[in-house]
Amino acid sequence: MARAGKAKATATATATATATATATKTSPSDSDTNLNLKPKQKLKTKTNNDKKGNNKNTTKKNQTQKAIEAQLNLNLNLKQKQKQQPPPVSDSDSYSDSQSDSDYDGDFSKDDGGSESEDYESLRDSKSEESDSSGDEGNVNTSDNGDLASDHSHEDESESSDAHEGVEESDSSEDEVAPRNTVGNVPFVWYEDEDHVGYDIAGKKIKKKEREDKLQSFLASADDSKNWRKIFDEYNQEMVEVTKEEAKLVHRMLEGKAPHADFDPYAPYVDWFKWDDAKHPLSNAPEPKRRFIPSKWEHKKVVALRRAIRKGLIKFEKPKEEPRVYLLWGDESDATEKSGHLAYIPAPKTKLPGHEESYNPSLEYIPTQEEINSYQLMYEEDRPKFIPKRFTSLRNVPAYENAVKESFERCLDLYLCPRVRKKRINIDPESLKPKLPSRKDLRPYPTTCYLEYRGHTDAVLSISVDPSGQWIASGSMDGTVRVWEIDTGRCLRVWNVDEAVKCVAWNPVQELPILAAAVGPDVLILNTDLGSEEEQERARELLEIKTLPSPDDSDKAASVATWHQDDKHGGIRLRHFKTVSSVEWHRKGDYLSAVLPADILAIVVHQISKKLTQIYAIKLRGGLPVSSVFHPTHSRLLIATKKNIRIYNLVGERKYKTLETGLREVSSISVHPADSKFKPRLDISILGDNIIVGSREGKLCWFDTDLSSRPYRTLKCHPKDINRVAFHHSYPLFASCSDDCTAYVFHGMVYSDLNQNPLIVPLEILRGHKSSNGRGVMDCTFHPRQPWLFTAGADSSIRLYCH
Amino acid sequence: MGKPKHYRPPGKKKEGNAARYITRSHAVKHLQVSLPVFRKLCILKGIFPREPKKKVKGNHHTYYHLKDIAFLQHEPLLETFRELRVHDKKIKKAKAKKNEERAKRLEVHRPDYKLDRLIRERYPKFIDALRDLDDCLTMVHLFAALPALEREKVEVKRIHNCRRLSHEWLGYISRTHKLRKVFVSVKGIYYQAEVQGQKVTWLTPHAMQQVLSDDIDFNVMLTYLEFNETLLAFVNCHLYHSINVRYPPILDPQLEALAADLYALSRWFAAGSRASKVDPQPSSLSGSEEGQGTALKESELRLAQLQHQLPSNEPGALMHLVEDTADEEVEEDEDTRECKKLFRNMKFFLSREVPRESLLFVIPAFGGVVSWEGEGAPFDENDDSITYQIVDRPTQTRRIFSREYVQPQWIYDCVNARIIVPTEGYLVGRVPPPHLSPFVDNDAEGYVPDYAETIKRLQAAAKNQVLPLPGVGKEDLEDPQALLAEGVIDRAEANEMKALEKQYHDELKMELQRVPYSSSTSKQVSVEETEAGEETLPDIQQIAEDAANMSKIVMPRKKRGLYEAIQIGKQRKRDKVNLLVERRKKLKESQKS
Repeated sequence: MARAGKAKATATATATATATATATKTSPSDSDTNLNLKPKQKLKTKTNNDKKGNNKNTTKKNQTQKAIEAQLNLNLNLKQKQKQQPPPVSDSDSYSDSQSDSDYDGDFSKDDGGSESEDYESLRDSKSEESDSSGDEGNVNTSDNGDLASDHSHEDESESSDAHEGVEESDSSEDEVAPRNTVGNVPFVWYEDEDHVGYDIAGKKIKKKEREDKLQSFLASADDSKNWRKIFDEYNQEMVEVTKEEAKLVHRMLEGKAPHADFDPYAPYVDWFKWDDAKHPLSNAPEPKRRFIPSKWEHKKVVALRRAIRKGLIKFEKPKEEPRVYLLWGDESDATEKSGHLAYIPAPKTKLPGHEESYNPSLEYIPTQEEINSYQLMYEEDRPKFIPKRFTSLRNVPAYENAVKESFERCLDLYLCPRVRKKRINIDPESLKPKLPSRKDLRPYPTTCYLEYRGHTDAVLSISVDPSGQWIASGSMDGTVRVWEIDTGRCLRVWNVDEAVKCVAWNPVQELPILAAAVGPDVLILNTDLGSEEEQERARELLEIKTLPSPDDSDKAASVATWHQDDKHGGIRLRHFKTVSSVEWHRKGDYLSAVLPADILAIVVHQISKKLTQIYAIKLRGGLPVSSVFHPTHSRLLIATKKNIRIYNLVGERKYKTLETGLREVSSISVHPADSKFKPRLDISILGDNIIVGSREGKLCWFDTDLSSRPYRTLKCHPKDINRVAFHHSYPLFASCSDDCTAYVFHGMVYSDLNQNPLIVPLEILRGHKSSNGRGVMDCTFHPRQPWLFTAGADSSIRLYCH
Repeated sequence: MGKPKHYRPPGKKKEGNAARYITRSHAVKHLQVSLPVFRKLCILKGIFPREPKKKVKGNHHTYYHLKDIAFLQHEPLLETFRELRVHDKKIKKAKAKKNEERAKRLEVHRPDYKLDRLIRERYPKFIDALRDLDDCLTMVHLFAALPALEREKVEVKRIHNCRRLSHEWLGYISRTHKLRKVFVSVKGIYYQAEVQGQKVTWLTPHAMQQVLSDDIDFNVMLTYLEFNETLLAFVNCHLYHSINVRYPPILDPQLEALAADLYALSRWFAAGSRASKVDPQPSSLSGSEEGQGTALKESELRLAQLQHQLPSNEPGALMHLVEDTADEEVEEDEDTRECKKLFRNMKFFLSREVPRESLLFVIPAFGGVVSWEGEGAPFDENDDSITYQIVDRPTQTRRIFSREYVQPQWIYDCVNARIIVPTEGYLVGRVPPPHLSPFVDNDAEGYVPDYAETIKRLQAAAKNQVLPLPGVGKEDLEDPQALLAEGVIDRAEANEMKALEKQYHDELKMELQRVPYSSSTSKQVSVEETEAGEETLPDIQQIAEDAANMSKIVMPRKKRGLYEAIQIGKQRKRDKVNLLVERRKKLKESQKS
């Protein structure tokens, strides 16, 4: 037990000892603790008796002591419990005492307080004895020590037996100091509200003593200097005055010191053990042999070590320190030697900081709070990595929080990122643009809107110009076909066909002024009643169905198309089994091809003069057919499907070529030149070799069929669908029109020299049409002689652009 | 079942990229090492992944060239690392068996390796090493500012070594006046020096407690540091030898203890040059020291100094240094001479709160004399000859009238502008003018901050001056200030001019876009006239746009993509500049109101 702990323990011991025999409770609240303490008190009575010189007190003293004890008991007890630790330096004597105590009687060892107080007693005893023995020690021989020890133990035994006796006699000890109050061991709570505090032997009530009222007691205390020492003893119902000595005792206890001033808790340590050898050994056995012979294993170890040292496995000298830094690049002469290694690619240097990274940048570099907030809405990678900050003086600049992290990331970059030598492109973007011939030199071409033909009430889907260049026909969504005079813009004729007109086409023969129009599943061949009398007569003759077509393959042909006389419009109605998407005349004006959006039997060719229908049993790959064109010189038919262009020999009904467009959806096709008659300058061999194709993704492909089956040039000019492309008959011009309400005019020169590539120059963007239902310019076509362009818009107008 | 994508018939050798490149995991397996060892080897040898034209194994692999890996395979370090691993196992085993003696013995004989051969191999010429020095310097300076970390195995020894190396480097740069640009950023202080024609840029962190985050693998950094330390040591050695100073320098331990390493270094330089040139009499030197020495400890110290031919604590030593340099280097270039003269005949004194290390480096690099508050300083605050005192506090109470009290930014701005900037805006207690980056080419960027223009004017003014007499710094200062005032007036006129200029530029642009001047303007007029009748005539802008688009249509796809990318980049840059201009305008408006 620690010394301080011991001191406490002794304090309680004395306190309890003095409190002795009045085994009644001081206060009801303390009842538990008191019950615990009871055996201790009992024990103390005996020891108390033993120490008459010290502890024998008057009854009065006892009582006061007890009152104080009542207050101290609890906390001291608790403290004791806390201090139950093994002593760092234990008094061997007291230790043995307590040991012996516990050996002697199990009851004691259970009650710690009791055993400790016992300790104290024994300590005191031993102390007195110690002084004795120390006095003796000078005289006594070492041989006496053993006796002395035995003496001690003997005395201890007697002590503990005393203690034991004390326990037995504890009942009688209560009689010694007779309590004047005979209420018995009864809680005061029972009498809290009564006038009496209990009963005497005779059974009479013991009255409570009248307590002085506060004022009186105060007055009494005011002039009494000893007042602070007065305590009311509830048990005996009287005031008790603590003597000065007792007060001092209490003070010392409160300070945590030993209660008695003469007790020294830090007495010098006395070593009771005899360290010098005893004369007679405990064991008389002879020394074993192994103590005299050297160890074999040690020897082996030594041999191994010796061997290791000899072999140089174990080195004792420290490795020599070479000069660490020297002139590494001393002579640069041999530096030129080439290591046969791969080229070293130096890592790119870190970006040098700009103005915004300054600790004190110009004010305009600092984003406002709204801007900083708006960064949160950005994508992670778009967000600025560094937000400039401003510090008004250098002393305010803190450490950069990402310094180590950025250095680490740089390290990672250096060893993890693949390195490639890349040419830095530092070119003027203008130099990327191809050098084009001046547009002035390529004149004439249509530039400005000259006329507008109005009259249709819905989107104009198709237009076609008379080969003479006088008339223009148009078909519209409103179910009318109209013929206009080009020069004046006057509407000449209107046919009401009650259904959207998908396509109109003039007969390319100038002497035969008839018109083909695709209306739903029908193709109407209309007589326009234009031209001279003779011409009109011929046309009327042609459009009269006199005889039915020859019956040889009529079954099949009839299933696809049937010929009817249309009296209402004054022409022929060709009824097909499916909707007709486009019609196209052969250059001789006798044949007419119609395209049906079907897998097979998609292309039908009608002969007007004989009223015959031919079907080409062609299986088309690459999607539905979109449009078909006759080759300007050869008897070939070009069919544009959604994916590619297929060219067929009409004679042998065999496929001649396929052109891969690479487009998603082809919308229109045009062959250069549109009509060979107007191109006398060109070599006959190159006619029809160049094809342009427009697509729904806004791309325009130029094919040179002699060169390759892939596009010679793909132009991405329109952001929206291209509806129609068209070549000019005589001028080197072509145009495309699209849903973005524009029409592009290009210069497309084809050379007779086969080595020279066609020259394509964009010339003009024609605007003017308005968008309606998401559609823009639906059709465009050139004037046969003049460099004029007609466009038909979804805004129900037709425009003429002139140079 | 078809054949796999890269099927090779048995017996046929690999060809092309498949034969030339291997993935990292293959390389590790091939070398029979662990990944950390491979990483370390790669870092030390400078082996990096390369980008094959065709990635045979897929896009998400790192590819190394087979030759690189073969290069690693023949590296003796590989064997050393294996030995190290074995050795570490032995030590561990000995410790586990409580064989302390053996463990200790093994510890001593741990296989060691040197990196000098690697450095020679990677940088066959000194100039190559200089070219790659940026990262090395930045890292060493960073570690010089870091605390030692037990748990991350960052030892105190290494930190000290880094400090020493960085000081040696700074000492050399300062001594030879090679420093060209300084920029104080939020991240730290950037320096740019020009050594042997190579621009070396490095970043030193602010002298504060650095923030350490957990997601940093210090193993990687330490491997880099190991190489960088060695490299910098050899580079320093070479540089020191090139100016006839012995390496490694032995510094005055007293100054070193006071953290004035740079000053100590400069004295070492001075001593070195004197030793090589003048050959001072040791007797006189010791005699002067005798007068000063009092304490026993100091005399011991001096003994050590004498052995190393160190100068003592006399203030004259620094003066010597500055004077000596005048006739020393003849073959220096124009730039160096200019830099050397910048702070000539000026004396600076640093207050406690300014970044001492940086200024002790910068001021002598530009020919100034500097001292600081604290022990070991060459001269103290009361020296009358001090011309500038660098302070960074709200107010300066005790003032001496013969000197100016300026903020540290003044030094940096002077250095970057290469002129003595008027101190007006930098005086104590004022908010200094913006600190601009010297690394930015304002004209190329398209935006010139106001203060950059002011400095440009000052520079022009300084050049026009016939002969700025050294020693009359005061008069020097007066003139630029007057000029500054003039500059303000000029700017108002310039704004008017700008409007005219802009119109001219617009017209030029139109001409470039092949819109004939007369037609475009006349068309504009005609459009206005005909607008009431029909709005079919597309406006002038539309025409210009169309003209630009025309040639874009016929471009091949690849070129068009490139063109568009360039345009996007330009647009972004323009947006940035516009944003700045916008903000400036707003600021000016708010200031007016």
